[in-house]
Amino acid sequence: MRRYSPRVFRVASRFFRQRSIVEDAAQEVFLKAFTELGSFEGRGSLEGWLTRIATNTCLNLVRSAKRRPEANVSDLSEEENSWVQGQLAAVAASQHKSTETSIVAADLAGRVLETLSPDDQLVLTMIDGEEASVKEVVEATGWSESKVKVQVFRARRRMRAAVEKLLGSKRPVANKTLESTGKR
Amino acid sequence: MSDKHIIDILDESRLSTLSESERAVVEQHAEGCSECRSALAAAYLSTALLRERAANSFTPSPFFATRVLATLRKRQSSREFWGLARMWRAAGALVSAMAVTVVTLAVVTFVVPANETGIDQDLVTAYSADEVILGQSELPDEVNYGQVWNTLYGGDEEIAK
Repeated sequence: MRRYSPRVFRVASRFFRQRSIVEDAAQEVFLKAFTELGSFEGRGSLEGWLTRIATNTCLNLVRSAKRRPEANVSDLSEEENSWVQGQLAAVAASQHKSTETSIVAADLAGRVLETLSPDDQLVLTMIDGEEASVKEVVEATGWSESKVKVQVFRARRRMRAAVEKLLGSKRPVANKTLESTGKR
Repeated sequence: MSDKHIIDILDESRLSTLSESERAVVEQHAEGCSECRSALAAAYLSTALLRERAANSFTPSPFFATRVLATLRKRQSSREFWGLARMWRAAGALVSAMAVTVVTLAVVTFVVPANETGIDQDLVTAYSADEVILGQSELPDEVNYGQVWNTLYGGDEEIAK
């Protein structure tokens, strides 16, 4: 268990923002794995098998959770607002961020992702966040390659729409940033 | 491509996978198109958010394994309890069915009157085989040969003749 815990926690962290929920999800994954250990035929690696169980268990947990909230600019804290502005400026300047701002950003990312479906969250976090390949997503979920491609295409569009909505009143900043990005 | 909106390109591929020339074309188009400009800004922000999110994953606490094993034991004992409960329920149903059968048989044997069994009591009590064959009792005078045959062979007239 100690050997595979980091892997399972990483998968669960794609779906949940709170440590306690991540731990609960990881626990559920291991309990399920112990129960279904007999069904592991040894064709693939144990890690791959466990990753698939972790992904599907977390997906089911998110699906059974309450309705997704709407992302709203007014929901942003002062720190988050400043991160959004800083980030938009950093895109142009390619600056690196501090650890503190990273945590704020991760939290904000979690909130934006929560407005999307669990499937969207998964493909976006893996492909755009972790830069995983389509094949890796196929292995983790058991979906077909075409489903993953369609899912990520639609998920990007929905994520972009959610972020645009989040930016809302920050449009002048965004425009300014893009202007400077274009000049780069 | 400059005449075409770039939104589809943003949806089709990761920003990081765009080549320098592709990125230049995208940004050039965004400069002159407000719709694509805001889409590109959102795409940059989305990518940044997702990267931050991916970089922030939790690590297991020191007592995680202990906690999982304790929960596993608890669930297993709970499953055993419910297994036993199910077995007891099945056994109870079987015992009940057997008791009902025994009671029914007892009622049929001891309580239901003999005349409801369909046997002609007059034939049984009036002329027993012993009486007819051995003549150990005094048969009434009116008993004729045919009645004796009826008693012995169940009224088979063909044999009697």
